[in-house]
Amino acid sequence: MTDLAKIPGYAETKEAHGETTVVVARDSIRAACAYARDELGYAFLADIVATDYLDWSGKGVSGYIGTATGRDLNLPMTQGLQALPEAKPARFSLSYHLLALRQGAPRLRLQCWLDDGDTVDSVVPVWPAADWFEREQYDLMGIRFDGHPNLARLLMEDDWEGHPLRKDYPIGGEPVRFSAAE
Amino acid sequence: MSATIQNTGRTRRWPIVGEPPYEGTRIPSRVPTVLDVPPVLRETGDVLQVNFGPNHPSTHGVLRLIVDLDGELVVGLSAVIGYLHTGFEKNMEQKTWWKAITYPERIDYVGYQNNELVFVLAIEKMLQLEVPEKATWMRMLLCELNRIHSHLVYLGTSALELGAISMFWYCFRERETILDLFELVTGQRMHTRYFQAGGLAEDIPTGFYPEARKFVEWMPHALDDYLTLLDRNQIWLERTKGVGLLSADDAIALGQSGPVLRASGVDWDLRRDQTYLAYDQVDFKVPVYTGCDVYDRYRVRMDEMAESVKIVRQCIDRLERMEGQPWITDDRKVVLPPREELHTSMESLIHHFKIVTEGYRVPAGEVYVAIESPRGECGCYVVSDGGPKPWRVHFRAPSLAALQATATCAHNTLIADLIAVVGSLDAVMGDTDR
Amino acid sequence: MVTRLRDHGLQSERLLWPTKGPSRFEEELGVEELEQALGMTTLEKAVRWAQTKSMWPDTFGLACCAIEMMSIVGARYDLARFGMEAFRSSPRQADLLIVSGRVSHKMAAPLRQIYDQMLEPKWVIAMGACASSGGMFNNYAILQGVDRIVPVDIYVPFCPPRPEALMEGIIRLHEAHLAGVPPAYERKQVAT
Repeated sequence: MTDLAKIPGYAETKEAHGETTVVVARDSIRAACAYARDELGYAFLADIVATDYLDWSGKGVSGYIGTATGRDLNLPMTQGLQALPEAKPARFSLSYHLLALRQGAPRLRLQCWLDDGDTVDSVVPVWPAADWFEREQYDLMGIRFDGHPNLARLLMEDDWEGHPLRKDYPIGGEPVRFSAAE
Repeated sequence: MSATIQNTGRTRRWPIVGEPPYEGTRIPSRVPTVLDVPPVLRETGDVLQVNFGPNHPSTHGVLRLIVDLDGELVVGLSAVIGYLHTGFEKNMEQKTWWKAITYPERIDYVGYQNNELVFVLAIEKMLQLEVPEKATWMRMLLCELNRIHSHLVYLGTSALELGAISMFWYCFRERETILDLFELVTGQRMHTRYFQAGGLAEDIPTGFYPEARKFVEWMPHALDDYLTLLDRNQIWLERTKGVGLLSADDAIALGQSGPVLRASGVDWDLRRDQTYLAYDQVDFKVPVYTGCDVYDRYRVRMDEMAESVKIVRQCIDRLERMEGQPWITDDRKVVLPPREELHTSMESLIHHFKIVTEGYRVPAGEVYVAIESPRGECGCYVVSDGGPKPWRVHFRAPSLAALQATATCAHNTLIADLIAVVGSLDAVMGDTDR
Repeated sequence: MVTRLRDHGLQSERLLWPTKGPSRFEEELGVEELEQALGMTTLEKAVRWAQTKSMWPDTFGLACCAIEMMSIVGARYDLARFGMEAFRSSPRQADLLIVSGRVSHKMAAPLRQIYDQMLEPKWVIAMGACASSGGMFNNYAILQGVDRIVPVDIYVPFCPPRPEALMEGIIRLHEAHLAGVPPAYERKQVAT
């Protein structure tokens, strides 16, 4: 565990649901990934995921909270003011899911936080598998990766405008009466 | 930055078997997923650019390959995907947790129950639900049947593309039996939507076990049929041996998993190494081959089918002793009450109403769950804000990683070999594009 | 109204027995029965029959419905008994476009191009909910129904349709064509 603190740009460690998340600074993500691959042995890049936390703390969560923690039957119908999700440091989180191919299959999530317009170093020199993963996140979330050899749209058409998976992008499709979709 | 950051040498610690077929790495360095035509050849040679358009005779779905040919030799390759991008992830953010379970199945539409399983496992991990034993074993049984189904579709379509057309009908004959079993249990042939957060949607119907046993008794004979047709067929051997080489180092660098990784000599299977469901209680072998070519990927999948039959047999034996046990957890805040209770119990009625209309709420947090789908590591990353709908769902598609390896596998291949290579990577476009 | 041959002015010539009166041939046989008995038909009907018995589909499998479409080529739901197992890869040689699967906006242009390359007469079956109406994917990426860009003859619902359902759709298309219903591009007056 103390090895994790030596990751370049280390900020904090979070443990939840049996998973370890290490938050690193955005500028040193490439060095952190190289360290994780070389020193800690996480040779397999499973995925790169970006999450948009726009309006995260805006909506409260009320009523029946699901099972494990957070169930508060003594305050029903509080209309969202009883439990607010904790605020996030920035708008986007970028998670790198890593796996070490050894006994016990240890997994690690390297996470960095960035705002709209910030760029991150591409980790294609560390894992070539990151090529399309990063292109997909650029296409759908609009996060630019510095040093990516071919940062172009992957899933949407080349001339598509906007980044569909962002929270301020509408769901699209045709309007349907009495639909719950926003 | 074009050069790869070199390994310090201490990192090559993965369970490898055998010697690599080539030295160093053959990943095209500028862009890993593109094979560039050498500039000399482009100026002096006669390079023809051919478009394997999104609609093409081979049965992979809507994959577009832009191939540069020097005669019949492939000198340049790049893939264009996105023709089946469906926006699953955004759609799932609009639905409640329960309704969102219908979506993941359509992602990998050949190994559909694995995608469903991974999403349901993610919900259960965040809710910390305890799934009853019967549900775990039945999920394992259905996922292994689905693995056989997926490999049958792979075998039938790959052989069809290479000219062994009869294999298609042989494989689909067994596939129909598997789909009959799915229909018997769940009511649907494909996209069964049988897994629920907490267990299974319904109890296992009577009459399933004898039918499943009949299938399990027959399947090894069917596998013998396939081996008879293909395994010593000179044309098949010449078209698949030594084609599409991918060493273990390159495979791991490119994020390969599943049969492609195991055919490259890396002994890694999430069912055994990161056990989920009840895989530690069944006895099965993990086939690993060292040839790193199309033929070995075919052999890995054939052996995996035989091992899956063994697992299914063990699951049936175990499940038959669990008659009468619950098939879903009894946490009523998440699971619907049985219908009979709605007539008598007020609490049941209210819970039913709240769960169906508003949906159960999953505590805030993020999880990443990965399982071994027929294509490799299929993962699901879920972020919840504590509300009734997912905040972010992302699926790690093994097919996307597999297609990234096309350029590396396609060194010195003829155009006919390219078909074999793309078939052996077994990419499902729904999984790639999501 | 059943027409008899005598209504069409047929009169047998009686040379040996002029006073006998009309024969049973003229009074009882109708045109349709005579056609069936002697195997006579109009050219249009014959051509339509031939087209129905060998309507070759195009390999346009997109997503999950494509797997069920491959199922009907399999041995259990045998499509070869309709003469349709020859899936042509080239749209120039295909008569029937079974759009099986969800069509994204990126794929819509190739779909229209394939449809344009097919030669008349051509039919389109929208297989599955996604091709018929966008299915469960009402979002930015999926075309809400393939009939927005190509004229559709038959819609086969469900997700994915059972092979028997697709076969029902195909048989209804055959029956419609035999009965003289023109293909969708004529009915909807779409430029092809």
